[in-house]
Amino acid sequence: MKYFILKLFTFFMLFSFTNTFANEQMANATESTHKEETYQTRPFAEMMSGFIASTGLNALINPDPDELDSKGEHMSDFHKGVGRLIMILVTFLLFWLAIAKGFEPLLLLPIAFGGLLANIPVAGIAGEHGFLGVIYHMGLSNEMFPIIIFMGVGAMTDFGPLLSNPKTALLGGAAQFGIFGTLVGAVALSHFGFVDFTLQQASAISIIGGADGPTSIFIATKLAPELLGAIAVASYSYMAMVPIIQPPIMKALTTDAERRIKMTTLRHVSRLEKLIFPITVLSLAILVLPEATPLIGAFMFGNFLKESGVVERLNDTLQNSLINITTIFLGLGVGSKLAADQFLVPDTMFIMVLGIIAFSVGTAAGIFMAKLMNLFPGHKINPLIGSAGVSAVPMAARVSNKVGMEYDRTNMLLMHAMGPNVAGVIGSAVAAGVLISLFQ
Amino acid sequence: MDTNLVVEGLKFMALGMGTVFAFLIILIAVMYAMSAIIHKFFPEPQPNMETNQAGTQDNKKIIAAISAAITHHRKG
Repeated sequence: MKYFILKLFTFFMLFSFTNTFANEQMANATESTHKEETYQTRPFAEMMSGFIASTGLNALINPDPDELDSKGEHMSDFHKGVGRLIMILVTFLLFWLAIAKGFEPLLLLPIAFGGLLANIPVAGIAGEHGFLGVIYHMGLSNEMFPIIIFMGVGAMTDFGPLLSNPKTALLGGAAQFGIFGTLVGAVALSHFGFVDFTLQQASAISIIGGADGPTSIFIATKLAPELLGAIAVASYSYMAMVPIIQPPIMKALTTDAERRIKMTTLRHVSRLEKLIFPITVLSLAILVLPEATPLIGAFMFGNFLKESGVVERLNDTLQNSLINITTIFLGLGVGSKLAADQFLVPDTMFIMVLGIIAFSVGTAAGIFMAKLMNLFPGHKINPLIGSAGVSAVPMAARVSNKVGMEYDRTNMLLMHAMGPNVAGVIGSAVAAGVLISLFQ
Repeated sequence: MDTNLVVEGLKFMALGMGTVFAFLIILIAVMYAMSAIIHKFFPEPQPNMETNQAGTQDNKKIIAAISAAITHHRKG
């Protein structure tokens, strides 16, 4: 009997100690010394209610009035309770899109999971000291991750098709009209009082039309970090939907005869040309637009390593491990901006709408440019490759090829479309540089 | 002030599209010039067809020899 009482006593000692320990963590860190001695015994019911008060369920139903968002400001009860539930459901929708529909799963999954974590009450994962917040400050707020992604994309890019038919670069330029057209649209919207976008915000939104994820993130963190979540999600989801958005526009704007145009076979490009090309583009960027050199420089660095042919190990790392690691961090960091208080605002809806307009206008502008070029003498261009001028490498080029094959089984447009496609990447980097330089 | 914003947007568009096209047009000109220069002064050596054919012939001989050896082995 005595032994039993002793056992019971030890058990309670242990229990109270653990409980104190938990309390201690919540209390101010400065009072942590000798907490055990000042511990007051409490009835079990009080302990129980205290625990219930700390659950996530309670935090969602009765939001803590003192809870602050990641910027240290007060948030509304809606954003703490129902808003978080809505965002968690949104991330489930993103999971479904990524897994069942195969929409850019490589980025959408990390973004969506980051969003799920960011909307957990109490834990504050996206806050300044949460791990998502740390990731965000580590590489997103200083534009590091998009730059590293650009190096990897550069190492994956083959400029051969562009070099063998240089004039298709104009198509990649025309597609950037989507960016600037939407910029005008966004400022017009705020002019007529629908929304309140500043010029900086409007510029950051319009870059979605460049259909280039890293560039969008780069610009958004520089010009309008408060809109980063919505811009990144819009940009990546529209890139994933290229095969759905583009074909109707392409078919509506071209005639049957134009879609059947066959293009001349590409000439062989020597290794020396491919090796000199990245340096040439970079030199041009240095002379014309130094603001664009972070993006173009990183891109050409990756490409130069690849074409040099002597650093296969570095090239392999850029194309695989480095870009994969960065993609994970980039996705989680962007996901941290899916917190309800930042995403569930009216601006998000306008960003989504403006984004898809930007995308469609860019596609249409590329097609019109191809038609315009066909008015001049020389080799005819199939207008279907014009739509590939929006970056979205290599998805947009594949779409051009697929639509072309629908009308003529033997018409292989893939390689021809890669020219405007990679020119589109350069074009949107230049457009980004112009926008940044305008706000200096 | 409000009217300025749309005009500002149009100015951005003119400058932006102008720069993008100027950049790409210069790039196109440079690409043509570069390929002309490279093809004139540094022509790529033509891949030697003869050695390739000889290689495949060698391969055929080796394949024939191996299969002969296998048949011989199975018979034996």
